[in-house]
Amino acid sequence: MFSSIEDVIERFAKNNYIASRRIATVIYLATELRKPVLVEGPAGVGKTDLAKVLAASLGFDMIRLQCYEGLDEGKALYEWEYAKQLLYTQILKDKISEVLVGAKSLTEAVDRIAAQDEVFFSERFVLPRPLLKAISSEQPSVLLIDEIDKADAEFEAFLLELLSDFQVTVPELGTLKAKHIPLVVLTSNNAREMSDALKRRCLHLYIDFPDRVQELAIVKLKVPEAATKLAEEVVTVVQSLRKLDLKKTPGISETLDWVKALTLLNVNSLDQELVTETLDTIVKYEGDVRKAQEELKDYVRRVRARRGTEAGSDKDLLN
Amino acid sequence: MQEKLVEFANLLRENGVRVSLAETLDAFSASEVTGLSERDAFRAALRATMVKRASELPVFEELFDIYFSGLGEIIKQASQAVQNALSMSDQEFQKFLDQVEKMLQKEGKNLSELARQLLQNNSGEMERKIREASRAVKLNGIERTIEENYFARALARQLGLDKIEAEIKELREQLEKMDIGSELKAKMEEYLERRLKALDDIIRRYVRMEREKRDIKQKEDQRLNQIGEKSFYYLTEEELKKMNEAVTRLAQRLKNVITVRRKRSKKGRFDIKRTLRQNLKYGGVPFKLRFEKRKKEKPQVVILCDVSDSVRNASRFMLQFVYSLQDLYSRVRSFIFVADIGEVTECFRNNDAKEALDVALTGDIINVYAHSNFGYAFRNFVTDHLGAVNKRTTVIVLGDARNNYNLPHDWCLREIRQRAKKVIWLNPESRNTWGFGDSEMDRYAAHCDLVEECRNLNQLYRVVDRLVAG
Repeated sequence: MFSSIEDVIERFAKNNYIASRRIATVIYLATELRKPVLVEGPAGVGKTDLAKVLAASLGFDMIRLQCYEGLDEGKALYEWEYAKQLLYTQILKDKISEVLVGAKSLTEAVDRIAAQDEVFFSERFVLPRPLLKAISSEQPSVLLIDEIDKADAEFEAFLLELLSDFQVTVPELGTLKAKHIPLVVLTSNNAREMSDALKRRCLHLYIDFPDRVQELAIVKLKVPEAATKLAEEVVTVVQSLRKLDLKKTPGISETLDWVKALTLLNVNSLDQELVTETLDTIVKYEGDVRKAQEELKDYVRRVRARRGTEAGSDKDLLN
Repeated sequence: MQEKLVEFANLLRENGVRVSLAETLDAFSASEVTGLSERDAFRAALRATMVKRASELPVFEELFDIYFSGLGEIIKQASQAVQNALSMSDQEFQKFLDQVEKMLQKEGKNLSELARQLLQNNSGEMERKIREASRAVKLNGIERTIEENYFARALARQLGLDKIEAEIKELREQLEKMDIGSELKAKMEEYLERRLKALDDIIRRYVRMEREKRDIKQKEDQRLNQIGEKSFYYLTEEELKKMNEAVTRLAQRLKNVITVRRKRSKKGRFDIKRTLRQNLKYGGVPFKLRFEKRKKEKPQVVILCDVSDSVRNASRFMLQFVYSLQDLYSRVRSFIFVADIGEVTECFRNNDAKEALDVALTGDIINVYAHSNFGYAFRNFVTDHLGAVNKRTTVIVLGDARNNYNLPHDWCLREIRQRAKKVIWLNPESRNTWGFGDSEMDRYAAHCDLVEECRNLNQLYRVVDRLVAG
């Protein structure tokens, strides 16, 4: 576990994640209080990454449950493999009759079978899904429940038992208690308001888009091969794009994609022809692309004007 | 500290942030982990445990600033002001305070506790005393600006300001008799006087701050209510913008409710064929039951929106609402009319909200400067677009039914109703004026399943609630 908030920041930085103090504090609290964290925020600000990095920096396993509409217990918790069980009984028919040899009455036969109960109802026939895996895992783990807002309200209610007691009931086997209480991270894009009961059990963390300095640091960390000047320009443009009224506001991941794409194409400044063609890495709708193009043109014009005056002053000096 | 946290939780609740008891307990344990010394960590701890909605974060931030830097900060500032008035550096002031303490030991044996703390600059203890006193006078009940004076006086009385004043006066007299340098004496005297004023100042500012705490909520409430209740006709540019957000949220809410409802009716009758097929791998033993899937009945909506001059402002909103609805449902057909009727479904689908509304309202589709003629529009709808209406369609008419004494042709509406599942009429005019002058509302109302007055956002909310429920 972490020793302090600074420790969180440091260890996250080692795993290429720049955590603000606010994020680090919440993570530190989560590990100390053993409470799940509900991470909210716009798409592409590193919500999912947070869980991955948390697992990596603690050396825990990460178990991921992606939520979607119609996700049910069978896919999230466990499935009982009837087919396998049936197959086993079929194959072992002879063995079963051996057990039953010499039984004088039906009661005795049933008793003998009952004595072998564990064979029929054992963990052998349980197919563990992410939630059960997290609970029964021998090593401590980080459980990421991604996009919980996509799952149904019933599933949320079902999660409540798990999140408060860290135990689940499998009818065939009884109640399973967690060997290690996993660190739980839930992420939500706010497609749906989460229930109060769930929110109450979690620490809440809202991650917003980073400011210019932070974003630049992130770009430098994740795409070290990018030229500093290009990175600065890209970040400036993306920051101003976020202020526009776009259908889908570009997140950090989009910024990174764009920088990577531009670096790959050997572009080193935004006032080149090629740049407009790569715009679709950051904006995903046609209407948005149009708006972004205009913003970009505006930016290039401003930069050129500035450079123009600088060049002008150089000339003055020469004269 | 615990008391302070409980009080803070109450304050959050008063300002509309839902904080449960369990969350307050979490805040205790979280603040124990982070400690109090580091302000940012403490703030993050409280934020993570007490505030669970992004929309409530600004309220939290503001209250945290007021509450946790509040009184302590005021006291600190007051003593800083005294120091500045005496024009001393930090070191000099500290030395001076030592001298004051010495003097107090000699002369101030019968000083009250608060006076002593005040003169010795013991801000922590002072803060505690003032808080106690403010609880005694029920300062948290303050609501209006006019009450400030009353509460300031009450708090001063509770703290025994008169007594402290008398004590300090006495001290000054004693000071006269003491034999210390005249310069120091003058300084001491000024110090005593300024300190007394500082206490008064602290009380006043604290009372004002307490009132402001309550105010944040009121301001917010008022603003929302105003917009909610304000008629569509009288909105300013700024309010229009906010209204648009609200309408979009409203439509979103409608969608949320609908997805939940779809879930509930997921299973239909037992499906024998699929059950058999599914269980072949178990040798025909039906381990897994299969049910027929209920057919999702996609809501179909046809909207007829009046965009004539008389309802210009209201129709902007209605169109915004129509636009949001069309975004959410796949089967919405939208028409606008004044006298002619024209379909805007495609236009709404392909354009941004703002552009779409502009196109609809500037007369590219129909002549928007004509005199409204509901009868003519309905008749045209029946002849040209009746195919859009079938037994699953909900028809929503948005308009004031002011027909300019033209033929109402209410038989058209009857015909539409016969084919449709439901006809809903939303009228942006006040109910009292329906049927007067050229209003044909009464005549049309006979052929509607639901007629609602819809002149502001709150009413629109109610209508949506009814639509969702029914």
